[in-house]
Amino acid sequence: MNQFRWKQIGLICAFVAALWACGGSGSDTPTPTPPNPTDQASSDRKAMLTNIADNIIVPSYANFKTKFDAMVAKSDAFAAKPDKTTLTDLRQAWVDAYTEWQKVELFDVGPAEQYTLRNFFNIYPTDVAGVEAYIAAGTGSFDVPASYPKQGFPTLDYLINGLETTDDAIVARYATAADAAKRIAYLKRLTTQMNSQFTTVYTAWTTGGYRDTFINCTALNAGCSTGKLVNGFVLNYERYIRSGKFGIPSGAMANGTVAPDKVEAYYKKDLSLTLAKTAHQASIDFFNGKNVKTGQEGPSLKTYLNGIGAKDSQTGKSLVDIINAQFEVSNQKLAALKANLTDEVKTNNTAMVAVYTEMQKAVRMLKVDMTSAMSITITYTDNDGD
Amino acid sequence: MRNYLRKTTSAAPLAVFRVLFGLMLFGSIVRFWSNGWIVDLYITPHYFFPFYGFEFVKPLGEYTYVLFAICGLSALLVAIGLFYRVAMISLFLSFTYIELIDKSTYLNHYYFTSLVCLLLIFLPAHAYFSVDAYRRSGLLADQIPAWCIDSLKLFVALLYLFAGLAKLNSDWLLHAQPLRIWLPAHNDLPIIGFLFNYSWIPYLFSWFGCLYDLSIPFLLWNSPTRPWAYVAVVVFHGLTALLFPIGMFPYIMMVTALIFFSASFHKELIRQLGNWLSIPASFLWPKRVYTYQPVIRNFVLGLFAIFFAIQILFPLRYLVYPGELFWTEQGYRFSWRVMLMEKTGYAQFTVKDKLGHQTIVNNATFLTPLQEKMMSTQPDMLLQYAHILRDYYTQRGFRNPEVYVDSYVALNGRLGKPLIEPTTNLANQQDSFTHKEWITSFHDTIYGF
Repeated sequence: MNQFRWKQIGLICAFVAALWACGGSGSDTPTPTPPNPTDQASSDRKAMLTNIADNIIVPSYANFKTKFDAMVAKSDAFAAKPDKTTLTDLRQAWVDAYTEWQKVELFDVGPAEQYTLRNFFNIYPTDVAGVEAYIAAGTGSFDVPASYPKQGFPTLDYLINGLETTDDAIVARYATAADAAKRIAYLKRLTTQMNSQFTTVYTAWTTGGYRDTFINCTALNAGCSTGKLVNGFVLNYERYIRSGKFGIPSGAMANGTVAPDKVEAYYKKDLSLTLAKTAHQASIDFFNGKNVKTGQEGPSLKTYLNGIGAKDSQTGKSLVDIINAQFEVSNQKLAALKANLTDEVKTNNTAMVAVYTEMQKAVRMLKVDMTSAMSITITYTDNDGD
Repeated sequence: MRNYLRKTTSAAPLAVFRVLFGLMLFGSIVRFWSNGWIVDLYITPHYFFPFYGFEFVKPLGEYTYVLFAICGLSALLVAIGLFYRVAMISLFLSFTYIELIDKSTYLNHYYFTSLVCLLLIFLPAHAYFSVDAYRRSGLLADQIPAWCIDSLKLFVALLYLFAGLAKLNSDWLLHAQPLRIWLPAHNDLPIIGFLFNYSWIPYLFSWFGCLYDLSIPFLLWNSPTRPWAYVAVVVFHGLTALLFPIGMFPYIMMVTALIFFSASFHKELIRQLGNWLSIPASFLWPKRVYTYQPVIRNFVLGLFAIFFAIQILFPLRYLVYPGELFWTEQGYRFSWRVMLMEKTGYAQFTVKDKLGHQTIVNNATFLTPLQEKMMSTQPDMLLQYAHILRDYYTQRGFRNPEVYVDSYVALNGRLGKPLIEPTTNLANQQDSFTHKEWITSFHDTIYGF
């Protein structure tokens, strides 16, 4: 290669410079909007993942564990001595734990995704016939998909709120009925199953080393934390909040055929709106990176999107503001509902459909605008970007 | 012209290209197979998206493995130059068939590979340094017509030029889109990652990429600049390999660019290889010229003239369609438009009929994630899918089902908008080369090509 002299290198440089100059002067289209300087700290995914792990996911799980353990204790107390007092205690503990669950269901990442935690906690409507068959048999697998609507909070709902119309009658089913012992055993099996599934997931985060795996897998491909976290978050918002809590019961997704019996916490009746609001707010707080312990916002999807300058390139409006505004519209529609969503479906379904419609707009923003701005890979094979 | 057509040149560059191209294709097939993509892309899906006019290409189920085996074997035979002509035809047909099965796997470099295979069928790449030439000494020649190699160079040059022209638009040059979205995604790479947090970096990459595409054919063709141009090829494609999940493409281009190198460079390669394999000098340097029979030569030249005319015109066909190319994608494929768009979409279909049936479709029950992703941003695929749904629900008791789509597509950082008119019953629309009236008009303007 000794024939290549400095003269020729100069020639190339001149050529490239000339091309560059031509290209530059050739553009007489409107001047571009000045690029936002990317905020280095905010676009650091490791900082975001660390905040999400340490200040959101793990403390949320810890809070849930407290409420859940209390519920298990009350359930054991009820099993030991079924009466109206222990039933009332159990119900209250169940309400607290179910509500707290809404704040962790959205973390469909890592061990929760691997062990499909949601399947063992919150698949509804309850398969009543299936539950009764399991109780009568005194056995039955809890690990097959058909068993998901026979366990978790919705089944507990049926067992403590839906068996009979009066508390005395419910207590009698556990105290004096012929199959009382079997029913109590089933209750015990349910809480044991939930406990073991949750403990697996929780200990993976606290002592199993998953927290470090999580914060160190910073790439944006489908196998790493940000992609999985966002996929799980959006999936939860779309399928389990928008569809599960509103779209399906209101019939907005099925020919307008309403299904009031498919409302969450159907037997408790007055809890469904609280659960929906709690889940929705948890999604908003997660998006904004709100520290579960202090309430302060930290590195999050919000700061990351701002950090990479995500905005509607046509209007210049920040994507974060657009999404938060849409969350707020959904909140307003939620505020118009009464506590019992089954009643709302029957008498005020327009308001239910309105919530669905607004949440649908947020789904699009999260699923299309946000993932597009973040360049989150959702496919597993090659693409050349076209 | 007549003089040019009589000109001969060393057969070494074409022979080296044949070996490397065959080996690389074989490697690609092995990689594809071992990644499990044959199952994922050609066996798992329930439905496929054939290309307009190629609907006769059907998925083969388990026999897809046979197709890939034929393709891989043909590539190996081409590399060593055994039964070259048959192997080349078989490679072209099997590879092209695979690529035509499903639109959602369309990649420009597969199209490029298919067309190179097509050209190679008619070129004497086996006349030199091949098993065929070893077995049939009448075939052996170390000189071939110069146009044989020049036609490959011309084809590669066209690819780069069109790729470069496609980048001359306001999104790419003035807004650094979509690199501005894609590059910060790699800010966690060691050593260079921090660079992607600077907002001027996507501009640098955009402009460099555009200039690279427009100038590299000339810099490679011109011998003084060639070594530097090749360094640029390696750096450019190396970077794209590092940053984007584009598989074999960077390596294909790195190997292909070698065709521009001088005869002496390739002879040196052959000499080294010949020494290493202890091949007799009489085989390596036969001093004979390959000549086509005049009839065949004129046929091949006529064919190539048509081929290049099509190659020049086809990427420009978008000009006859109204609307923004990036939005409608009418004339987008087969035009060397690479890495130009970050386009993400969401499509929710409603199927209903006059009897009162109505359902909202869960796309995951019909399509793989890749198919759904591709379908949701490309109008012709949205239409094909609508027809799949129409036929499916007709079977399920819907009478003359109507299919509507609620679509939402974000393009290069713009907030999402509906791509398809939500009031159009797609069940009644037919695909064709005419403009699709039911695509919404683009809500912004992209200047340039």
